[in-house]
Amino acid sequence: MSQSIEVTETSDLAAPKAARLSTLGFFMSLPPVLVLLGFIGVPIVLAFAFSLGHTSGPNEIISLIGQEIYEKDSWWGTLDAYRAVFQDSRFGPDLRTTLAVTFIATFLVVVMALGMGIYQRIVGGKLAMVMISLSLVPLFVPVVIAAFAIRTFYDGNGFLKSLLYHFGIDFPTITMTTNAITIGTIWTSLPFAILMVSSGLQSIPDALIETAQDAGASFLRIVRTIMIPLAFVPIVIAITFTAIGIMGSFTVPYFLGANQPTMLGVEIALFFGPYNRPQLSVVMAFVIFIAASLVAVLYVWANVRSAKQSGRI
Amino acid sequence: MKKSALKKLVAVLASAGLMLLALAPTPASANQTIRLYIGADTNVKDLWEKALLPEFYKAYPDYKVEITYDRNGQNDAQTLAKVVASKATRKDPGMDVIDGGMTVQLGGAGLLWRGTPGLLPNLRNVPQVLIKNGKGGIPYRASLVLLAYNSKNVKTPPKTLAEVLAWAKANPGKFTYNAPSGGGSGFAFVQTVLDTNLTKKEVDTLVTLPNKTLQAKWEKGFETLRELNKVTYGQNGTYPVNNAATLDLLSKGLVDMGPVWSDQIASALKAGTMPKDIKTTTISNPSFTGGPAFLGIPNNSPNRNAARVLVNWVLSPAAQNIIVTGVMNGLPVIPVELLDASAAASIGAVDITTLRPGYLNSNATDLRSAWASKVPGK
Repeated sequence: MSQSIEVTETSDLAAPKAARLSTLGFFMSLPPVLVLLGFIGVPIVLAFAFSLGHTSGPNEIISLIGQEIYEKDSWWGTLDAYRAVFQDSRFGPDLRTTLAVTFIATFLVVVMALGMGIYQRIVGGKLAMVMISLSLVPLFVPVVIAAFAIRTFYDGNGFLKSLLYHFGIDFPTITMTTNAITIGTIWTSLPFAILMVSSGLQSIPDALIETAQDAGASFLRIVRTIMIPLAFVPIVIAITFTAIGIMGSFTVPYFLGANQPTMLGVEIALFFGPYNRPQLSVVMAFVIFIAASLVAVLYVWANVRSAKQSGRI
Repeated sequence: MKKSALKKLVAVLASAGLMLLALAPTPASANQTIRLYIGADTNVKDLWEKALLPEFYKAYPDYKVEITYDRNGQNDAQTLAKVVASKATRKDPGMDVIDGGMTVQLGGAGLLWRGTPGLLPNLRNVPQVLIKNGKGGIPYRASLVLLAYNSKNVKTPPKTLAEVLAWAKANPGKFTYNAPSGGGSGFAFVQTVLDTNLTKKEVDTLVTLPNKTLQAKWEKGFETLRELNKVTYGQNGTYPVNNAATLDLLSKGLVDMGPVWSDQIASALKAGTMPKDIKTTTISNPSFTGGPAFLGIPNNSPNRNAARVLVNWVLSPAAQNIIVTGVMNGLPVIPVELLDASAAASIGAVDITTLRPGYLNSNATDLRSAWASKVPGK
């Protein structure tokens, strides 16, 4: 970065160097693009063709092995596989569960992350440091371990139930319910959101907050009109990444959820493996992909907005 | 970039390439390296790694076995595709011996080498009917699903399926079985309930041929299973995800009864992870399913001779002893008289040729899918 700025400021002699650097830069950025295109882009195109009933060519073997394969009946394909998925009695409840868990968990995660971030920004001090550090611990625990720990904690003879039993309270067993999935996903998603939101809030200049305080603005007003708008992009990033991550989660719903309805991540794996219905699982994957794309639109919109405000575009 | 720098870069890259070549295994001993693919639960992997192979190396020091492990056969579909594709394109399938559920499909597709006693002498001791059912898959051990119960709370264990169902209804929250998609023990329970509404001939058809029309007869069995939703563990129509989860609930005392794999419960009891109060029994009318596990040698394996050496040894009495007594606690495929006295005593009298087999794979996937849409949470 600094080099390229230097180049623009020096004389014509630097021009060949700049050209060389840009060629080098192009080739340096090529590998990730090629990997994405080759190992992710092409399979996505093939999978999409498969979902539309194009069962020949590279999709031939999987079509031979899989069951309930719908083959195309016109040049562009068929929507029969999509129809089959939408008519399946499992899909509707699964989609609702996935969207509900995503929405509720993301909302709670962001609210909690905001609370933590604002506390650290306004009050600060040692206690806030300790709390932030503690809240990041789940980041370093593998999800499968965390899911297992949560299951053991809330299980029929888990800690929570045993403890409350001593006080004469019969707490319901919440493992194998959607509530358990929500708790589990909040646990695993919180650290990243806190990291993102608190760093966003940290970058707000002290002067702005102090000026507002001097002018007699209330705490809520400072949060509403200064802190959240100035940390808007990091907050949106936290929302989108949390939501997309939860939408595609597998381990937590697999360990903590009910058999049916479950989240689509689990259902896709079940359809692909144990039920041997690869085409239907691909269709579900595209539905999730569309839902995640809608969330990604939010991310793009926020970035464009902030770029416009800072005059970059 | 200057020329000298370019030269240096080329030199570094070239030397790195040479180093990689040097690190790659030498192909000289390729015909004595057996590539074993395992697509099964961890106890099967342990059986090979910790029990069978150390003894195999003692008997055949010149051979080497390379294991590729796929937990619970989760990638069976892809591996199956790989073998099918390798046959079509006349390439090396990348494995010489396969241990896993997909040997049944590969055998059915005619992609496995059919063992004969001429080239596989120890096959003589294996019951003919099992060899015939394998269609090229070579039976090497067997296991069956048993009913496990907590003897502290269940004084008179059920003897028939009807009694199991009656016990479950009389003791809400104390019986469970795992989702058929997650493991064979729960699958066996579901199949056994469904089979009560089918004739023996119809069951035989579903064991050997894909058949959608007969599957309609499952409906009544699913109704029976739906009735259990209110009384199984959790009491809201949820079920443990896999074999291990059923064992977990049993060991913690959360349930008092459930179907389990014979080898898994025997290993757990031996390891002490399962309390001694948990006992097992077989049920009848109909019995839970069970059967042999097969090894497969792909037709197009470039190293069939070495593969035969390994498979023949696994069928020897020495290796069958290890299968019975070692980490696996499996059942042998050779007559009990050929085993050591202690091994023979530990298994008692189970006739593995009369075990009720599970459904054909394509019917089994249909069952898993149908169960998931018709039973849990309904």
